[in-house]
Amino acid sequence: MGARVNGRVVAALAARAIRVQFRRAQFLIPAFMLPLVLLAVIASGTSAARGLPQFPDTGAYVGFVVGGTLMQGALLAGLTAGIALAGDIEGGFFDRLLTAPVQRVSIVLGRVAAACALGTVQGIVFLGVAFLFGARYSGGVAGVGVAITLGALTAGSLAGLACAIALRTGSLSLLQNLFPLTFVLLFTAPAFFPRELLNPTAEAIATYNPLAYIVEGIRAALFDDPGLGDSGLGLLVGAGLVLATTGLADLAMRRRLATQ
Amino acid sequence: MSARDAEPPTDGAIVARALARSYPGGLRAVDGVDLHVDAGEIYGFLGPNGAGKSTTVRILTTLLRPTEGRAWVAGHDVVTQAGTVRRSIGVALQEAALDPLMTGTELLRLQGALHGLRRREAEVRTRELLERVELVDAAERRLGTYSGGMRRRLDLALALVHRPRVLFLDEPTTGLDPASRAALWREVRSLNDDGTTVFLTTQYLEEAEQLADRVGIIDRGKIVAEGTPDDLKSHVGEPALHVELVDPSRAGEARAALAAHGECSDRRGGGLVLRAANGARAIAPVIRTLDEAGIEVDAVEVETPTLDDVFLAVTGHTATEVEQDGAEAPA
Repeated sequence: MGARVNGRVVAALAARAIRVQFRRAQFLIPAFMLPLVLLAVIASGTSAARGLPQFPDTGAYVGFVVGGTLMQGALLAGLTAGIALAGDIEGGFFDRLLTAPVQRVSIVLGRVAAACALGTVQGIVFLGVAFLFGARYSGGVAGVGVAITLGALTAGSLAGLACAIALRTGSLSLLQNLFPLTFVLLFTAPAFFPRELLNPTAEAIATYNPLAYIVEGIRAALFDDPGLGDSGLGLLVGAGLVLATTGLADLAMRRRLATQ
Repeated sequence: MSARDAEPPTDGAIVARALARSYPGGLRAVDGVDLHVDAGEIYGFLGPNGAGKSTTVRILTTLLRPTEGRAWVAGHDVVTQAGTVRRSIGVALQEAALDPLMTGTELLRLQGALHGLRRREAEVRTRELLERVELVDAAERRLGTYSGGMRRRLDLALALVHRPRVLFLDEPTTGLDPASRAALWREVRSLNDDGTTVFLTTQYLEEAEQLADRVGIIDRGKIVAEGTPDDLKSHVGEPALHVELVDPSRAGEARAALAAHGECSDRRGGGLVLRAANGARAIAPVIRTLDEAGIEVDAVEVETPTLDDVFLAVTGHTATEVEQDGAEAPA
Protein backbone atom coordinates (compact mmCIF):
# COMPACT_ATOMS: atom_id res chain seq x y z
CA MET A 1 0.00 0.00 0.00
CA GLY A 2 1.46 3.33 -1.07
CA ALA A 3 2.38 6.23 1.20
CA ARG A 4 -0.66 8.26 0.18
CA VAL A 5 -3.04 5.42 1.01
CA ASN A 6 -1.20 4.82 4.27
CA GLY A 7 -1.63 8.49 5.13
CA ARG A 8 -5.37 8.15 4.53
CA VAL A 9 -5.44 5.06 6.76
CA VAL A 10 -3.57 6.83 9.56
CA ALA A 11 -5.85 9.85 9.23
CA ALA A 12 -8.97 7.64 9.32
CA LEU A 13 -7.76 5.79 12.42
CA ALA A 14 -6.77 9.05 14.11
CA ALA A 15 -10.17 10.56 13.32
CA ARG A 16 -11.89 7.55 14.82
CA ALA A 17 -9.74 7.78 17.96
CA ILE A 18 -10.49 11.48 18.44
CA ARG A 19 -14.21 11.12 17.72
CA VAL A 20 -14.59 8.28 20.21
CA GLN A 21 -12.46 10.02 22.82
CA PHE A 22 -14.75 13.03 22.83
CA ARG A 23 -17.70 10.71 23.34
CA ARG A 24 -16.18 9.26 26.48
CA ALA A 25 -16.65 11.51 29.50
CA GLN A 26 -14.26 9.40 31.54
CA PHE A 27 -11.48 10.31 29.13
CA LEU A 28 -12.35 13.98 28.80
CA ILE A 29 -12.35 14.66 32.51
CA PRO A 30 -8.72 13.65 33.17
CA ALA A 31 -7.57 15.16 29.88
CA PHE A 32 -9.08 18.62 30.47
CA MET A 33 -10.61 19.09 33.90
CA LEU A 34 -7.84 17.60 36.01
CA PRO A 35 -5.03 19.77 34.59
CA LEU A 36 -7.17 22.88 34.94
CA VAL A 37 -8.02 22.02 38.54
CA LEU A 38 -4.33 21.49 39.31
CA LEU A 39 -3.50 24.76 37.56
CA ALA A 40 -5.98 26.59 39.76
CA VAL A 41 -4.70 24.89 42.93
CA ILE A 42 -1.02 25.47 42.24
CA ALA A 43 -1.45 28.98 40.84
CA SER A 44 -3.39 30.07 43.88
CA GLY A 45 -1.78 27.92 46.57
CA THR A 46 1.91 28.41 45.77
CA SER A 47 1.95 31.88 44.28
CA ALA A 48 4.20 33.04 47.13
CA ALA A 49 7.00 31.18 45.37
CA ARG A 50 7.26 34.16 43.04
CA GLY A 51 8.91 35.99 45.88
CA LEU A 52 11.84 33.59 46.02
CA PRO A 53 15.14 35.06 44.81
CA GLN A 54 15.70 32.67 41.90
CA PHE A 55 12.15 32.62 40.65
CA PRO A 56 12.06 33.94 37.06
CA ASP A 57 9.94 36.90 36.07
CA THR A 58 7.13 35.68 33.83
CA GLY A 59 4.50 38.22 34.79
CA ALA A 60 1.43 36.54 36.32
CA TYR A 61 2.34 33.39 38.24
CA VAL A 62 -0.26 31.43 36.27
CA GLY A 63 1.83 32.10 33.16
CA PHE A 64 4.74 30.20 34.68
CA VAL A 65 2.60 27.33 35.92
CA VAL A 66 0.66 26.78 32.68
CA GLY A 67 3.69 25.11 31.12
CA GLY A 68 3.30 22.29 33.64
CA THR A 69 -0.41 22.18 32.88
CA LEU A 70 0.32 21.64 29.19
CA MET A 71 2.64 18.79 30.14
CA GLN A 72 0.13 17.20 32.49
CA GLY A 73 -2.65 17.30 29.93
CA ALA A 74 -0.38 15.93 27.26
CA LEU A 75 0.74 13.02 29.44
CA LEU A 76 -2.85 12.12 30.20
CA ALA A 77 -3.81 12.41 26.53
CA GLY A 78 -0.99 10.05 25.65
CA LEU A 79 -1.95 7.57 28.35
CA THR A 80 -5.56 7.48 27.18
CA ALA A 81 -4.34 6.50 23.71
CA GLY A 82 -2.80 3.39 25.21
CA ILE A 83 -5.88 2.72 27.32
CA ALA A 84 -8.06 2.96 24.23
CA LEU A 85 -5.80 0.57 22.30
CA ALA A 86 -5.86 -1.91 25.16
CA GLY A 87 -9.64 -1.62 25.10
CA ASP A 88 -9.62 -2.43 21.39
CA ILE A 89 -7.43 -5.48 22.03
CA GLU A 90 -9.59 -6.80 24.85
CA GLY A 91 -12.83 -6.03 23.02
CA GLY A 92 -11.80 -7.61 19.71
CA PHE A 93 -11.83 -4.45 17.60
CA PHE A 94 -8.08 -4.87 17.22
CA ASP A 95 -8.71 -8.10 15.30
CA ARG A 96 -10.93 -6.16 12.91
CA LEU A 97 -8.04 -3.80 12.22
CA LEU A 98 -5.65 -6.71 11.77
CA THR A 99 -7.82 -8.34 9.09
CA ALA A 100 -7.58 -5.15 7.02
CA PRO A 101 -4.76 -4.84 4.45
CA VAL A 102 -3.01 -2.02 6.31
CA GLN A 103 0.56 -1.72 7.49
CA ARG A 104 0.55 -2.68 11.14
CA VAL A 105 2.42 0.47 12.17
CA SER A 106 -0.55 2.48 10.87
CA ILE A 107 -2.58 1.28 13.84
CA VAL A 108 0.00 2.80 16.20
CA LEU A 109 0.50 5.92 14.10
CA GLY A 110 -3.24 6.56 14.16
CA ARG A 111 -3.19 6.57 17.96
CA VAL A 112 -0.07 8.75 18.13
CA ALA A 113 -1.52 11.23 15.64
CA ALA A 114 -4.77 11.39 17.59
CA ALA A 115 -2.86 12.06 20.82
CA CYS A 116 -0.90 14.85 19.12
CA ALA A 117 -4.16 16.37 17.91
CA LEU A 118 -5.66 16.13 21.39
CA GLY A 119 -2.48 17.67 22.84
CA THR A 120 -2.90 20.55 20.41
CA VAL A 121 -6.50 21.17 21.50
CA GLN A 122 -5.43 20.97 25.13
CA GLY A 123 -2.66 23.48 24.53
CA ILE A 124 -5.09 25.97 23.01
CA VAL A 125 -7.56 25.53 25.88
CA PHE A 126 -5.04 25.68 28.71
CA LEU A 127 -3.12 28.67 27.33
CA GLY A 128 -6.44 30.38 26.69
CA VAL A 129 -7.66 29.81 30.24
CA ALA A 130 -4.35 31.02 31.69
CA PHE A 131 -4.59 34.10 29.46
CA LEU A 132 -8.04 34.80 30.90
CA PHE A 133 -6.50 34.69 34.37
CA GLY A 134 -3.70 37.10 33.60
CA ALA A 135 -0.97 35.22 31.78
CA ARG A 136 0.68 37.23 29.04
CA TYR A 137 2.88 35.59 26.44
CA SER A 138 5.69 37.88 25.39
CA GLY A 139 6.76 35.21 22.88
CA GLY A 140 3.73 36.15 20.80
CA VAL A 141 1.86 33.93 18.39
CA ALA A 142 5.04 32.16 17.37
CA GLY A 143 5.92 31.38 20.94
CA VAL A 144 2.43 30.10 21.66
CA GLY A 145 2.64 27.97 18.51
CA VAL A 146 5.93 26.41 19.63
CA ALA A 147 4.52 25.77 23.11
CA ILE A 148 1.47 24.03 21.68
CA THR A 149 3.69 21.97 19.38
CA LEU A 150 5.79 20.87 22.34
CA GLY A 151 2.64 19.83 24.18
CA ALA A 152 1.47 17.88 21.15
CA LEU A 153 4.83 16.11 20.86
CA THR A 154 4.66 15.19 24.54
CA ALA A 155 1.21 13.69 24.04
CA GLY A 156 2.43 11.77 21.02
CA SER A 157 5.49 10.43 22.79
CA LEU A 158 3.54 9.11 25.75
CA ALA A 159 0.95 7.70 23.36
CA GLY A 160 3.70 5.68 21.71
CA LEU A 161 4.90 4.40 25.06
CA ALA A 162 1.39 3.60 26.26
CA CYS A 163 0.60 1.81 22.99
CA ALA A 164 3.78 -0.24 23.38
CA ILE A 165 2.64 -1.31 26.84
CA ALA A 166 -0.86 -2.06 25.55
CA LEU A 167 0.48 -4.20 22.71
CA ARG A 168 2.91 -5.99 24.97
CA THR A 169 0.40 -6.78 27.71
CA GLY A 170 -3.05 -6.46 26.10
CA SER A 171 -4.25 -5.41 29.53
CA LEU A 172 -6.69 -2.54 29.91
CA SER A 173 -6.50 -2.60 33.71
CA LEU A 174 -2.70 -2.33 33.67
CA LEU A 175 -2.85 0.75 31.47
CA GLN A 176 -5.48 2.32 33.71
CA ASN A 177 -3.26 1.72 36.74
CA LEU A 178 -0.41 3.65 35.10
CA PHE A 179 -2.26 6.91 35.68
CA PRO A 180 -0.18 7.86 38.79
CA LEU A 181 2.97 7.40 36.72
CA THR A 182 2.14 10.59 34.86
CA PHE A 183 2.48 12.55 38.11
CA VAL A 184 5.84 10.94 38.80
CA LEU A 185 7.05 12.00 35.35
CA LEU A 186 5.62 15.46 35.88
CA PHE A 187 7.06 16.19 39.30
CA THR A 188 10.50 14.81 38.47
CA ALA A 189 10.63 17.44 35.74
CA PRO A 190 10.58 21.17 36.70
CA ALA A 191 6.96 21.34 35.56
CA PHE A 192 5.68 23.72 38.23
CA PHE A 193 8.88 25.09 39.74
CA PRO A 194 12.13 26.30 38.17
CA ARG A 195 14.90 23.73 38.14
CA GLU A 196 17.08 26.06 40.23
CA LEU A 197 14.65 25.83 43.15
CA LEU A 198 14.56 22.02 43.24
CA ASN A 199 16.61 20.22 45.86
CA PRO A 200 19.84 18.66 44.53
CA THR A 201 18.35 15.18 44.23
CA ALA A 202 15.30 16.36 42.33
CA GLU A 203 17.49 18.57 40.16
CA ALA A 204 19.72 15.60 39.33
CA ILE A 205 16.71 13.48 38.40
CA ALA A 206 15.36 16.31 36.25
CA THR A 207 18.64 16.34 34.31
CA TYR A 208 17.83 12.84 33.07
CA ASN A 209 14.10 13.38 32.57
CA PRO A 210 13.53 14.39 28.93
CA LEU A 211 10.28 16.07 29.91
CA ALA A 212 12.36 18.67 31.80
CA TYR A 213 13.74 19.97 28.49
CA ILE A 214 10.31 20.05 26.94
CA VAL A 215 8.62 22.00 29.74
CA GLU A 216 11.53 24.45 29.89
CA GLY A 217 11.27 24.78 26.11
CA ILE A 218 7.58 25.64 26.54
CA ARG A 219 8.37 28.41 28.98
CA ALA A 220 11.23 29.73 26.83
CA ALA A 221 8.89 29.92 23.84
CA LEU A 222 5.97 31.49 25.70
CA PHE A 223 8.10 34.25 27.22
CA ASP A 224 10.79 34.52 24.54
CA ASP A 225 13.40 34.07 27.28
CA PRO A 226 16.38 31.76 26.64
CA GLY A 227 17.11 31.94 30.34
CA LEU A 228 14.00 29.83 30.96
CA GLY A 229 15.07 27.02 28.64
CA ASP A 230 15.87 26.08 25.08
CA SER A 231 12.77 25.60 22.88
CA GLY A 232 14.89 24.23 20.04
CA LEU A 233 16.27 21.54 22.33
CA GLY A 234 12.75 20.90 23.59
CA LEU A 235 11.51 20.35 20.03
CA LEU A 236 14.41 18.00 19.32
CA VAL A 237 13.76 16.02 22.49
CA GLY A 238 10.03 15.93 21.80
CA ALA A 239 10.44 14.74 18.24
CA GLY A 240 13.02 12.20 19.33
CA LEU A 241 10.71 10.83 21.99
CA VAL A 242 7.86 10.47 19.52
CA LEU A 243 10.10 8.55 17.11
CA ALA A 244 11.57 6.38 19.85
CA THR A 245 8.30 5.45 21.53
CA THR A 246 6.52 4.89 18.23
CA GLY A 247 9.36 2.58 17.27
CA LEU A 248 8.95 0.80 20.58
CA ALA A 249 5.26 0.36 19.90
CA ASP A 250 5.97 -0.98 16.42
CA LEU A 251 8.37 -3.54 17.91
CA ALA A 252 5.77 -4.53 20.47
CA MET A 253 3.24 -4.95 17.65
CA ARG A 254 5.57 -7.19 15.65
CA ARG A 255 6.34 -9.28 18.70
CA ARG A 256 2.66 -9.64 19.53
CA LEU A 257 1.81 -10.77 16.03
CA ALA A 258 4.79 -13.10 15.77
CA THR A 259 3.98 -14.87 19.01
CA GLN A 260 0.24 -15.22 18.46
CA MET B 1 8.23 -33.44 0.85
CA SER B 2 6.66 -31.67 3.84
CA ALA B 3 3.51 -29.58 3.63
CA ARG B 4 5.69 -26.48 3.86
CA ASP B 5 7.57 -27.42 0.71
CA ALA B 6 4.40 -28.22 -1.20
CA GLU B 7 3.64 -26.39 -4.41
CA PRO B 8 0.86 -23.82 -4.10
CA PRO B 9 -2.48 -24.99 -5.45
CA THR B 10 -3.57 -23.90 -8.88
CA ASP B 11 -7.26 -23.94 -8.04
CA GLY B 12 -9.56 -23.65 -5.07
CA ALA B 13 -10.62 -20.55 -3.17
CA ILE B 14 -9.43 -22.01 0.14
CA VAL B 15 -6.87 -24.78 0.36
CA ALA B 16 -5.22 -26.14 3.47
CA ARG B 17 -2.73 -28.98 3.74
CA ALA B 18 -1.91 -30.59 7.08
CA LEU B 19 -2.79 -27.35 8.82
CA ALA B 20 -2.04 -27.41 12.54
CA ARG B 21 -1.89 -25.02 15.44
CA SER B 22 -0.28 -26.06 18.73
CA TYR B 23 -0.06 -24.16 21.98
CA PRO B 24 2.45 -24.40 24.84
CA GLY B 25 1.60 -27.43 26.92
CA GLY B 26 0.91 -29.56 23.89
CA LEU B 27 -2.66 -28.54 23.11
CA ARG B 28 -3.34 -28.93 19.37
CA ALA B 29 -6.37 -26.81 18.62
CA VAL B 30 -6.07 -27.63 14.92
CA ASP B 31 -4.50 -30.97 14.15
CA GLY B 32 -3.71 -31.72 10.53
CA VAL B 33 -6.65 -30.15 8.70
CA ASP B 34 -6.90 -30.59 4.92
CA LEU B 35 -9.39 -28.41 3.09
CA HIS B 36 -10.29 -27.69 -0.49
CA VAL B 37 -13.10 -25.21 -1.05
CA ASP B 38 -13.94 -24.42 -4.63
CA ALA B 39 -14.58 -20.89 -5.83
CA GLY B 40 -18.26 -20.02 -5.56
CA GLU B 41 -18.98 -22.72 -3.00
CA ILE B 42 -20.56 -22.35 0.42
CA TYR B 43 -18.58 -24.57 2.75
CA GLY B 44 -19.97 -25.27 6.19
CA PHE B 45 -17.51 -26.02 8.96
CA LEU B 46 -19.44 -27.79 11.67
CA GLY B 47 -18.43 -28.72 15.19
CA PRO B 48 -19.14 -28.05 18.86
CA ASN B 49 -17.48 -25.37 20.97
CA GLY B 50 -13.80 -26.11 21.36
CA ALA B 51 -13.53 -28.26 18.23
CA GLY B 52 -11.11 -25.90 16.47
CA LYS B 53 -13.46 -24.04 14.13
CA SER B 54 -12.58 -20.53 15.19
CA THR B 55 -8.86 -21.32 15.38
CA THR B 56 -8.99 -22.61 11.81
CA VAL B 57 -10.78 -19.47 10.69
CA ARG B 58 -8.25 -17.26 12.46
CA ILE B 59 -5.42 -19.03 10.64
CA LEU B 60 -7.13 -18.72 7.27
CA THR B 61 -7.83 -15.03 7.87
CA THR B 62 -4.18 -14.36 8.85
CA LEU B 63 -4.91 -13.58 12.50
CA LEU B 64 -2.94 -16.61 13.68
CA ARG B 65 0.06 -18.37 12.22
CA PRO B 66 -0.13 -22.11 11.79
CA THR B 67 2.52 -24.06 13.65
CA GLU B 68 2.50 -26.69 10.91
CA GLY B 69 1.14 -27.05 7.40
CA ARG B 70 0.17 -24.44 4.87
CA ALA B 71 -2.92 -22.71 3.65
CA TRP B 72 -3.84 -20.59 0.67
CA VAL B 73 -6.79 -18.28 0.35
CA ALA B 74 -7.70 -16.80 -3.03
CA GLY B 75 -4.48 -18.34 -4.31
CA HIS B 76 -2.17 -16.66 -1.79
CA ASP B 77 -0.25 -18.14 1.12
CA VAL B 78 -1.76 -16.98 4.42
CA VAL B 79 1.70 -16.57 6.01
CA THR B 80 4.00 -15.28 3.27
CA GLN B 81 1.36 -13.30 1.35
CA ALA B 82 -0.84 -12.25 4.25
CA GLY B 83 -1.39 -8.72 2.98
CA THR B 84 -2.67 -9.98 -0.36
CA VAL B 85 -4.93 -12.45 1.39
CA ARG B 86 -6.44 -9.65 3.47
CA ARG B 87 -7.29 -7.69 0.33
CA SER B 88 -9.25 -10.67 -0.98
CA ILE B 89 -11.21 -11.67 2.08
CA GLY B 90 -14.06 -10.36 4.15
CA VAL B 91 -14.27 -11.49 7.76
CA ALA B 92 -17.09 -11.54 10.30
CA LEU B 93 -15.69 -13.15 13.43
CA GLN B 94 -17.58 -14.95 16.16
CA GLU B 95 -17.72 -11.91 18.39
CA ALA B 96 -18.97 -8.96 16.35
CA ALA B 97 -16.29 -6.52 17.48
CA LEU B 98 -17.94 -3.17 17.01
CA ASP B 99 -17.04 0.07 18.75
CA PRO B 100 -20.22 0.95 20.70
CA LEU B 101 -19.45 4.68 20.50
CA MET B 102 -19.32 4.76 16.71
CA THR B 103 -22.32 4.89 14.41
CA GLY B 104 -22.93 2.36 11.65
CA THR B 105 -22.10 4.92 8.99
CA GLU B 106 -18.85 5.93 10.69
CA LEU B 107 -17.68 2.35 11.02
CA LEU B 108 -18.49 1.51 7.42
CA ARG B 109 -16.59 4.58 6.25
CA LEU B 110 -13.63 3.61 8.42
CA GLN B 111 -13.68 0.10 7.00
CA GLY B 112 -13.72 1.58 3.51
CA ALA B 113 -10.69 3.70 4.33
CA LEU B 114 -8.85 0.70 5.75
CA HIS B 115 -9.45 -1.15 2.49
CA GLY B 116 -8.17 1.70 0.36
CA LEU B 117 -11.47 3.08 -0.89
CA ARG B 118 -11.44 6.77 -1.72
CA ARG B 119 -13.82 8.95 0.26
CA ARG B 120 -16.54 9.21 -2.40
CA GLU B 121 -16.34 5.53 -3.22
CA ALA B 122 -16.58 4.66 0.48
CA GLU B 123 -19.60 6.93 0.82
CA VAL B 124 -21.44 5.26 -2.06
CA ARG B 125 -20.53 1.80 -0.85
CA THR B 126 -21.68 2.67 2.68
CA ARG B 127 -25.12 3.66 1.41
CA GLU B 128 -25.38 0.52 -0.75
CA LEU B 129 -24.51 -1.78 2.11
CA LEU B 130 -26.77 -0.09 4.64
CA GLU B 131 -29.66 -0.64 2.24
CA ARG B 132 -28.63 -4.21 1.57
CA VAL B 133 -28.58 -5.16 5.26
CA GLU B 134 -31.63 -3.00 6.06
CA LEU B 135 -29.90 -0.68 8.51
CA VAL B 136 -30.57 2.65 6.81
CA ASP B 137 -32.81 3.87 9.61
CA ALA B 138 -30.28 2.93 12.28
CA ALA B 139 -27.21 4.14 10.40
CA GLU B 140 -26.67 7.28 12.48
CA ARG B 141 -27.28 5.58 15.81
CA ARG B 142 -24.40 4.47 17.98
CA LEU B 143 -23.63 0.78 17.76
CA GLY B 144 -24.14 0.35 21.49
CA THR B 145 -27.87 0.77 20.84
CA TYR B 146 -28.05 -1.98 18.22
CA SER B 147 -29.71 -5.32 18.88
CA GLY B 148 -27.80 -8.58 18.37
CA GLY B 149 -29.32 -9.09 14.95
CA MET B 150 -28.48 -5.56 13.87
CA ARG B 151 -24.89 -5.97 15.04
CA ARG B 152 -24.56 -9.15 13.04
CA ARG B 153 -26.01 -7.50 9.91
CA LEU B 154 -23.62 -4.58 10.27
CA ASP B 155 -20.74 -7.00 10.79
CA LEU B 156 -21.68 -8.67 7.53
CA ALA B 157 -21.84 -5.31 5.78
CA LEU B 158 -18.39 -4.44 7.10
CA ALA B 159 -17.03 -7.66 5.69
CA LEU B 160 -18.42 -6.77 2.26
CA VAL B 161 -17.17 -3.18 1.92
CA HIS B 162 -14.39 -4.08 -0.49
CA ARG B 163 -16.31 -6.75 -2.43
CA PRO B 164 -14.19 -9.68 -1.27
CA ARG B 165 -13.86 -12.86 -3.28
CA VAL B 166 -13.93 -15.02 -0.17
CA LEU B 167 -16.10 -14.40 2.87
CA PHE B 168 -15.44 -15.94 6.27
CA LEU B 169 -18.39 -16.08 8.66
CA ASP B 170 -17.59 -17.43 12.10
CA GLU B 171 -20.84 -18.60 13.74
CA PRO B 172 -22.79 -15.73 12.23
CA THR B 173 -26.19 -16.63 13.70
CA THR B 174 -25.27 -17.75 17.21
CA GLY B 175 -27.55 -15.98 19.64
CA LEU B 176 -29.92 -14.64 17.00
CA ASP B 177 -33.69 -15.08 17.00
CA PRO B 178 -35.20 -17.20 14.19
CA ALA B 179 -36.27 -14.19 12.11
CA SER B 180 -32.81 -12.62 12.24
CA ARG B 181 -31.23 -15.96 11.47
CA ALA B 182 -33.45 -16.46 8.43
CA ALA B 183 -32.64 -12.95 7.21
CA LEU B 184 -28.92 -13.61 7.50
CA TRP B 185 -29.28 -16.90 5.64
CA ARG B 186 -31.06 -15.11 2.80
CA GLU B 187 -28.23 -12.61 2.60
CA VAL B 188 -25.57 -15.32 2.55
CA ARG B 189 -27.37 -17.11 -0.28
CA SER B 190 -27.65 -13.85 -2.18
CA LEU B 191 -23.92 -13.20 -1.79
CA ASN B 192 -23.14 -16.66 -3.02
CA ASP B 193 -25.42 -16.15 -6.01
CA ASP B 194 -23.21 -13.15 -6.84
CA GLY B 195 -20.20 -15.45 -6.91
CA THR B 196 -18.72 -14.99 -3.44
CA THR B 197 -17.14 -18.06 -1.86
CA VAL B 198 -18.39 -18.46 1.69
CA PHE B 199 -16.64 -20.33 4.49
CA LEU B 200 -19.13 -20.64 7.29
CA THR B 201 -18.53 -22.09 10.74
CA THR B 202 -21.51 -23.18 12.77
CA GLN B 203 -22.67 -25.35 15.65
CA TYR B 204 -26.04 -25.89 14.02
CA LEU B 205 -26.62 -28.79 11.66
CA GLU B 206 -29.75 -27.08 10.39
CA GLU B 207 -27.72 -24.02 9.38
CA ALA B 208 -25.24 -26.18 7.54
CA GLU B 209 -28.10 -28.02 5.83
CA GLN B 210 -29.80 -24.80 4.81
CA LEU B 211 -26.77 -23.05 3.41
CA ALA B 212 -23.83 -25.28 2.66
CA ASP B 213 -23.00 -27.07 -0.57
CA ARG B 214 -20.59 -29.20 1.42
CA VAL B 215 -19.93 -29.59 5.12
CA GLY B 216 -16.82 -30.56 7.02
CA ILE B 217 -17.20 -31.81 10.58
CA ILE B 218 -14.34 -30.96 12.90
CA ASP B 219 -13.82 -32.67 16.22
CA ARG B 220 -10.90 -32.01 18.57
CA GLY B 221 -8.94 -30.30 15.83
CA LYS B 222 -9.40 -32.90 13.10
CA ILE B 223 -11.84 -33.14 10.23
CA VAL B 224 -13.69 -36.38 10.87
CA ALA B 225 -16.22 -36.29 8.06
CA GLU B 226 -16.84 -34.27 4.95
CA GLY B 227 -19.53 -34.25 2.31
CA THR B 228 -22.88 -32.85 1.36
CA PRO B 229 -25.43 -32.51 4.19
CA ASP B 230 -27.38 -35.48 2.81
CA ASP B 231 -24.20 -37.57 2.74
CA LEU B 232 -23.51 -36.80 6.36
CA LYS B 233 -27.04 -37.53 7.50
CA SER B 234 -26.89 -40.88 5.77
CA HIS B 235 -24.21 -41.82 8.32
CA VAL B 236 -26.95 -42.03 10.93
CA GLY B 237 -29.61 -43.54 8.72
CA GLU B 238 -33.07 -42.32 8.03
CA PRO B 239 -35.23 -40.24 10.36
CA ALA B 240 -36.95 -42.20 13.14
CA LEU B 241 -40.72 -42.36 13.62
CA HIS B 242 -41.95 -42.15 17.22
CA VAL B 243 -45.37 -43.82 17.48
CA GLU B 244 -47.59 -43.38 20.51
CA LEU B 245 -50.50 -45.79 20.94
CA VAL B 246 -53.85 -45.06 22.52
CA ASP B 247 -53.52 -48.41 24.32
CA PRO B 248 -49.85 -48.86 25.32
CA SER B 249 -50.51 -52.47 26.36
CA ARG B 250 -50.79 -53.37 22.66
CA ALA B 251 -47.19 -52.35 21.97
CA GLY B 252 -46.17 -55.96 21.36
CA GLU B 253 -48.84 -56.43 18.73
CA ALA B 254 -47.92 -53.14 17.11
CA ARG B 255 -44.26 -54.12 17.01
CA ALA B 256 -45.08 -57.35 15.24
CA ALA B 257 -47.35 -55.57 12.75
CA LEU B 258 -44.68 -53.01 11.90
CA ALA B 259 -41.82 -55.49 11.45
CA ALA B 260 -42.24 -55.35 7.67
CA HIS B 261 -41.64 -51.57 7.66
CA GLY B 262 -38.29 -51.61 9.43
CA GLU B 263 -36.52 -52.02 12.72
CA CYS B 264 -38.99 -51.35 15.55
CA SER B 265 -38.19 -51.06 19.24
CA ASP B 266 -39.80 -49.91 22.43
CA ARG B 267 -39.38 -46.29 23.36
CA ARG B 268 -38.49 -45.22 26.87
CA GLY B 269 -41.61 -43.77 28.46
CA GLY B 270 -43.96 -45.74 26.21
CA GLY B 271 -44.61 -46.08 22.51
CA LEU B 272 -42.44 -47.36 19.73
CA VAL B 273 -39.51 -46.15 17.65
CA LEU B 274 -39.42 -47.24 14.03
CA ARG B 275 -36.43 -46.81 11.74
CA ALA B 276 -37.96 -47.28 8.34
CA ALA B 277 -36.07 -47.56 5.06
CA ASN B 278 -38.04 -44.68 3.54
CA GLY B 279 -37.96 -42.43 6.60
CA ALA B 280 -40.73 -39.87 6.99
CA ARG B 281 -42.50 -41.21 3.91
CA ALA B 282 -43.34 -44.28 5.97
CA ILE B 283 -45.82 -42.37 8.15
CA ALA B 284 -48.89 -43.07 6.02
CA PRO B 285 -48.15 -46.80 5.47
CA VAL B 286 -47.40 -47.22 9.21
CA ILE B 287 -50.70 -45.69 10.26
CA ARG B 288 -52.51 -47.79 7.66
CA THR B 289 -50.85 -51.00 8.93
CA LEU B 290 -51.75 -50.29 12.54
CA ASP B 291 -55.28 -49.34 11.55
CA GLU B 292 -55.70 -52.64 9.69
CA ALA B 293 -54.50 -54.43 12.85
CA GLY B 294 -57.12 -52.61 14.89
CA ILE B 295 -54.50 -50.69 16.87
CA GLU B 296 -55.30 -47.01 17.44
CA VAL B 297 -52.51 -44.45 17.01
CA ASP B 298 -52.40 -41.46 19.34
CA ALA B 299 -49.50 -39.59 17.71
CA VAL B 300 -46.68 -40.00 15.21
CA GLU B 301 -43.59 -37.80 15.42
CA VAL B 302 -40.63 -37.65 13.04
CA GLU B 303 -37.21 -37.31 14.66
CA THR B 304 -34.53 -35.98 12.30
CA PRO B 305 -30.80 -36.54 12.97
CA THR B 306 -29.19 -33.92 15.18
CA LEU B 307 -25.61 -32.81 15.43
CA ASP B 308 -25.24 -35.20 18.34
CA ASP B 309 -26.46 -38.07 16.14
CA VAL B 310 -23.98 -37.20 13.39
CA PHE B 311 -21.20 -36.75 15.92
CA LEU B 312 -21.99 -39.97 17.66
CA ALA B 313 -21.97 -41.81 14.36
CA VAL B 314 -18.62 -40.44 13.17
CA THR B 315 -16.75 -39.90 16.44
CA GLY B 316 -18.24 -42.30 18.96
CA HIS B 317 -19.16 -39.51 21.39
CA THR B 318 -21.68 -36.68 21.46
CA ALA B 319 -20.95 -33.03 20.85
CA THR B 320 -22.24 -32.26 24.36
CA GLU B 321 -19.65 -34.55 25.91
CA VAL B 322 -16.91 -32.71 23.99
CA GLU B 323 -18.08 -29.35 25.34
CA GLN B 324 -18.07 -30.65 28.89
CA ASP B 325 -14.60 -32.13 28.57
CA GLY B 326 -12.55 -29.13 27.62
CA ALA B 327 -12.50 -25.41 26.96
CA GLU B 328 -11.70 -23.77 23.61
CA ALA B 329 -8.01 -23.15 23.00
CA PRO B 330 -6.80 -19.57 23.39
CA ALA B 331 -7.45 -17.83 20.09
